[in-house]
Amino acid sequence: MKITEQKDADRLICLIEGEINITHSPELRKFFDGLIKKNETKVLVDFSAVSYIDSSGLATLIEMYQRLKKIGGLMRCSGMNQKIKNTFEITKLHKLFDIFDTRESALKDF
Amino acid sequence: MNLLEKLSSDLNSVPRCIDSVINKVRQLPFNEEQLHDIKLSLEEALVNAIKHGNKLDLRLSVSVSAESSDNALAITVTDQGKGYDFKNVPDPTNAANLSKLSGRGVFLIHNRMDKVEFLSGGCSIKMIKYFKNGVDK
Repeated sequence: MKITEQKDADRLICLIEGEINITHSPELRKFFDGLIKKNETKVLVDFSAVSYIDSSGLATLIEMYQRLKKIGGLMRCSGMNQKIKNTFEITKLHKLFDIFDTRESALKDF
Repeated sequence: MNLLEKLSSDLNSVPRCIDSVINKVRQLPFNEEQLHDIKLSLEEALVNAIKHGNKLDLRLSVSVSAESSDNALAITVTDQGKGYDFKNVPDPTNAANLSKLSGRGVFLIHNRMDKVEFLSGGCSIKMIKYFKNGVDK
């Protein structure tokens, strides 16, 4: 898994590449810790290069969503492939997260 | 196809085991979506066995067997823990559970595989995937 961050005005875009699984989730959690410490409050998670996510990955995203919510921040998700989108839908997490087809539409929503 | 793997209760051993099983499963007539479902279910079962079954006790091991028949693949993951009440697992899709950080593994397995059975008081999970989606479900 590789994470690239990019600043767009007051929004922080995280491009995640590869698999978000039990071995990579701690690294993602650590990355999110860093964003909270840097007071990033508008976070877009770009899934366009994510090929796989398991329940530990979902938990890591929920945790970040809750931490941002607590400090008045916002989290948006974009670019999920059909397999990832389906995992969010069957777990009903699409009701918790704001999911957009493209990065552009997600950025407009902040 | 017939395979038997044993791994320690170390989460770092999960990817190697998954790669080994999936490399063999690739020889079977599954499409990419089905392979994704099998990989996800196997990972969830292994993590549950190591974390919740064996409670990360490195003295305990987890065994994985995979066997194919004419129309299906059966994967069984067995831990050396005390089992659990698999009949009373909270539904993670209930609104009250949606924000919880755990409890989705078994739900995903049920959703991705065609048949799921718990054996030995929950120490063992048998997951079946048919080559054609849902046949004999």
